[in-house]
Amino acid sequence: MKRRNLVLSLPMLAVLQACGGNGESSASAGSGEGFPSRPFRIIVPFGAGGLADVTIRLAGEHLSVATGQPVVIENRPGAGGVAATTTMLSAAPDGYTLIVLTNGTTIAETQFADLPYDITADLRPVSALAWFDLVLMTSPDSGVTSLQDLLTKAATRPGGLRIATINPGSTQHLSAELFKSKAGVAGTVISYRTTPDVLGALLRGEVDLAIEAYTALKGAIDSGQAVPLAVTGEARNPALPEVPTVAEAGVADYVVTGWNAVYTNAGTPDEVVARLNEEIAKVTALPEIQQRFAELGVEARSSTPDEIHQRLLADIEKWRDVMVAANLAGQ
Amino acid sequence: METLTNLALGFEQVLTVQALLICLLGVTLGTFIGVLPGIGALTTISLCLPLTFHLDPLMGLIMLAGIFYGSQYGGSTASILLNVPGTAPAAVTCLDGYPLTKQGRAGVALFVTTIGSFIGGSFAIVLLILFAPMLANVAISFSAADYFSIMLLALTAASTLGVGSPLKGLAMVVFGLALGLVGTDINSGQFRFTFGVPALADGINLVALAMGLFGVAEILNTLVTGALPRLESTRITLRSMLPTKEDWQDFRGSCARGSLVGSFLGMLPGTGPTIAAFISYAIEKKVSRTPEKFGHGSIAGVTGPETANNASVQAAFIPTLTLGVPGDAIMAVMIGGLLIHGVTPGPQLISDNPQLFWGVVASFWIGNVMLLILNLPLIGLWVKLLSIPYKVLFPAILFLISIGVYSVNNSTFDVLLTFGFGLLGFWFTRRGFPSAPLLLGFVLGPLIEENFRRALLLSDGNLATFVERPVSLGFLLITLALLVAAGLSKHLLARKNRAQ
Repeated sequence: MKRRNLVLSLPMLAVLQACGGNGESSASAGSGEGFPSRPFRIIVPFGAGGLADVTIRLAGEHLSVATGQPVVIENRPGAGGVAATTTMLSAAPDGYTLIVLTNGTTIAETQFADLPYDITADLRPVSALAWFDLVLMTSPDSGVTSLQDLLTKAATRPGGLRIATINPGSTQHLSAELFKSKAGVAGTVISYRTTPDVLGALLRGEVDLAIEAYTALKGAIDSGQAVPLAVTGEARNPALPEVPTVAEAGVADYVVTGWNAVYTNAGTPDEVVARLNEEIAKVTALPEIQQRFAELGVEARSSTPDEIHQRLLADIEKWRDVMVAANLAGQ
Repeated sequence: METLTNLALGFEQVLTVQALLICLLGVTLGTFIGVLPGIGALTTISLCLPLTFHLDPLMGLIMLAGIFYGSQYGGSTASILLNVPGTAPAAVTCLDGYPLTKQGRAGVALFVTTIGSFIGGSFAIVLLILFAPMLANVAISFSAADYFSIMLLALTAASTLGVGSPLKGLAMVVFGLALGLVGTDINSGQFRFTFGVPALADGINLVALAMGLFGVAEILNTLVTGALPRLESTRITLRSMLPTKEDWQDFRGSCARGSLVGSFLGMLPGTGPTIAAFISYAIEKKVSRTPEKFGHGSIAGVTGPETANNASVQAAFIPTLTLGVPGDAIMAVMIGGLLIHGVTPGPQLISDNPQLFWGVVASFWIGNVMLLILNLPLIGLWVKLLSIPYKVLFPAILFLISIGVYSVNNSTFDVLLTFGFGLLGFWFTRRGFPSAPLLLGFVLGPLIEENFRRALLLSDGNLATFVERPVSLGFLLITLALLVAAGLSKHLLARKNRAQ
């Protein structure tokens, strides 16, 4: 028997609120005592069905079981997470409204010249949630079997290496730019609108390399439509034990690890953040979560608030350098 | 024989009480959200996705797919009756559907669209069953240069969309192309014409544009002119719904062409039902012996696009299920639903998960039959909508449009945009500027630009890529032929006029 699903969608909660009315219960919020006493709301800066959405839904379900409070996932898609962050900042700093930030957030910091907020000061870190690497892959028809092969081949082509990724300003796109500079190859990053379009480009053989998260193209890799050459993490991906890291494959100093983390408003009390951090740590350690995340090609791992925040700050710097070099910064 | 065995396996999966009920739930929900202006399949499927996490993957997919194709049945209803499209592709149906209602033939229009939808959907399902893997490989082999040429042909063919001044129609296409430029440039990542508004960085929302130009504008127009189709009687007899012999003749051809066009475009990732509907309309107008009837209540102008959009959504499952390459955002959400269950769509889906694949395919058929049975009796009910006093109806529609547009991105900016486009659309109508070409320019413009530039990037800047690829060359030649034919016929017409 499955446990009763407590992860509700937003309209369902609106109905519940209309029926029960919980507007008055917020009086107890703010102190660690009696927290949590009402439903959580987690804002996701993407549409339903994506990796960030799926992982937070799985975690949210267990968070709900652990705290006895419903968890509502609210999708606020839109460029750079601006809509999501604005919604987050309009909520009370009581720990009941949370937001999922990703390494995409750190890119938006540089991509958007004047954001109406300062993400490093207006939000408060709670914990990391999930970590994942990207996969460099080629088409089976290319005859290329290693990263060195690819680089050698690219050197002989007039236009250099052709790399397919999703839209400009994505982690994948910047990872491709970073790869070009670290590997010292000439080439073009060609942008596609969606991950399936990237796969299509690989299937047609119109590009030499595609860079995408393992999860997104798991089916293609498993079936041999795409040949993985290297993974971008610091260590090998447990799902692809045969595939070397980019560093092992001969390109030094190149590591890209994507992450999802939970943040809340800056004014949230310490004890509330501590309690939330503790709950998320418990949830990510659950065998079921470990296993479900691993199936998605993602590692479930929490962190201290400070750890993830240092990571956020470091990634803002890292991607700013890449974007300045690739002429993508500050609009 | 193998196909039959597979189909038997599929029906075995879905001829259970649970599966049938879930399918019925999906298609019924789909029909209603299709009828309601603004609220579309993407929103509904996103909202229902979490519900499917605790269902069996097959059941989840049956329901989500049912919502998707069900919404294409409902989408035309409000277009025909009120000139307010229920979904973006149904904006095309307004062009001839609403004039039919004004002539008191709403029942006939709804009848032919329902039958056309069923035929279009069924045709694509047959393709899916017989040729899915092969067709998917053909579809995926179309590269950027091919897309460019196909879209260019579509844009050229569609220059005939408007009624009235060709110059005004052309101006609206160009304006649509300009609106399509708003947002993040796919190649450089630069923001274009966003005026510092972050909400515009992803471009103008198609639903906001379509609902504003067609829905809100129509309501403003009716309020000013007071011209609302009145019902002769609120009793709808079966007889008043049945098409005449002449209608059937129009219907047959347009239905066949709509099925082909819709299936072809549906299979190509990146083109959706909106483009299929527009192109089908353009084709119908080109081949018709009575092109002057278009825009004034042509049956072919309604059945063609409606058949095409249904064929297209059903055909979109071909690359999605066989290659794991979803054609649009809705398909991507469905794939997300499968991933949660640990099912990875891809070339191995058919062999690894035959129950799932053939079960879904069988459910499509059952779902389409359900939709036919569901929609025919509903026609009478929908037509009665017209007897609701307008002072009650129009606030309700505005309310639904607002909710629907808001729900796409949870964005209030989009709602404001809708009303802005509503005012603009109202002005267009008063001045005789047709809105349909604008919408087409908006949908095709970004695709043409994106693929043109991508093709050049891939060919290292060599323009010859467009004529070196046979598919691209073929479509470019057809485009050229169309332009020459249009020029010739104009010339001949002028000579004829001089001779008289």
